[in-house]
Amino acid sequence: WLQYFNKEEFIYAHDPEKKCKTGDIVLIQELPEKMTRLISHMVKHVVYPLGDITDPLTGKKVVVGKYRDEIAEANELYGESENAFKYDDAPDRGWQEDKKDFTHRESYIKYHEFPDDDQPYAV
Amino acid sequence: MWKVGLYLTKNLCSPSNYNINTSLREYAFKSNLKIKWIRPEKIPCQKPEKSGDLQKIGDVDSKGFPLQFSDSQELLDADEMVKKMFSLGFLPRKYSTQVLRHEMVCTVQRHHLDFGSMESRIASMTSIIRNWQELYEQFPRNKKLNVRLKELIDKRKKFLKYLRRWDYKRYEWLLSKLDVVYHPPPNEFRRVTRKESLCKLTDKYCNDLKEQRLKQYKATLESQQIEFLRDKIKLAIQIRTGTDKSLKEHSAALLRCGVVQCGVCSHQFPNMHGNVR
Repeated sequence: WLQYFNKEEFIYAHDPEKKCKTGDIVLIQELPEKMTRLISHMVKHVVYPLGDITDPLTGKKVVVGKYRDEIAEANELYGESENAFKYDDAPDRGWQEDKKDFTHRESYIKYHEFPDDDQPYAV
Repeated sequence: MWKVGLYLTKNLCSPSNYNINTSLREYAFKSNLKIKWIRPEKIPCQKPEKSGDLQKIGDVDSKGFPLQFSDSQELLDADEMVKKMFSLGFLPRKYSTQVLRHEMVCTVQRHHLDFGSMESRIASMTSIIRNWQELYEQFPRNKKLNVRLKELIDKRKKFLKYLRRWDYKRYEWLLSKLDVVYHPPPNEFRRVTRKESLCKLTDKYCNDLKEQRLKQYKATLESQQIEFLRDKIKLAIQIRTGTDKSLKEHSAALLRCGVVQCGVCSHQFPNMHGNVR
């Protein structure tokens, strides 16, 4: 019977300013000459950062299928609580790295107990 | 028989093994480095350390009332015995967990009727998980509870994964509010074996050794540098202040070619453009 499989292509792109983070959709340009054996492209700019997408047509911020204004309107109609999440007060992505969010590095299965090392990326 | 002969000649030829009685086995290799491998303890995934819960569920006010009677005025005016009977301390555990769950959801919900948004669902799941973790500590033979707990933990992890994809800022805020740690799953799921772990440890050991030796060598070279620069300065001063014309001409010619001669030991160094650190 027919089976369909995904194909993945890995490209090494030069990013000296560290603009992109894991999961971002990014625009890359092919370099005229290969920088190293592997690096063939360079990162131009981030199009859609992960979890913070702006609609390209309207320019408004979006959460999955709804605009943020719509959600805010609904909350206001119900009577927004004090503990609700506010987008304006939220800091940029990365303030919980190494504290609660360990997705910026690849995790591995612990294979040895090091006396000095805490091994925060070991599962 | 020929294999035995080869084996003996191998033994005799190696300079380290002059004692013929030592045996060199050709299976189950054991290195001389004596690296000790400590197998990490297996922590079950239902425990709070592994599930990501840093806090235990808080204590409920034993004199408080359940959710159903939170708004009633009659209970507040009632007799002391009646109040005692309706207090959470004397009611089954279920009512206290209800109250704690409601409290946790109230800290995250968007409005007072919000129980369907991602953050409120994850909050209710965390309160249940923490409650069941405590229960399981008391009653470890309740295997059905253990199974439900494990499944809930996995579900919450899945929801956190989705929330991270949809709304990263809200996800980070939620992690900080509920005190939950999120680890992404590893790329490979392999059994932890002695051979593989020792292989990795020996690789680490070798890399550390290499780095250490390179550092040492760099330090020795840098120490030599200081002496050379000192001599160079001396020479330069000598050249500028001295009256020996021939020496001046000779050193000027050498500088043009890119070589400096040390006046003390007459050793020729390449010109370092006078950078004194």
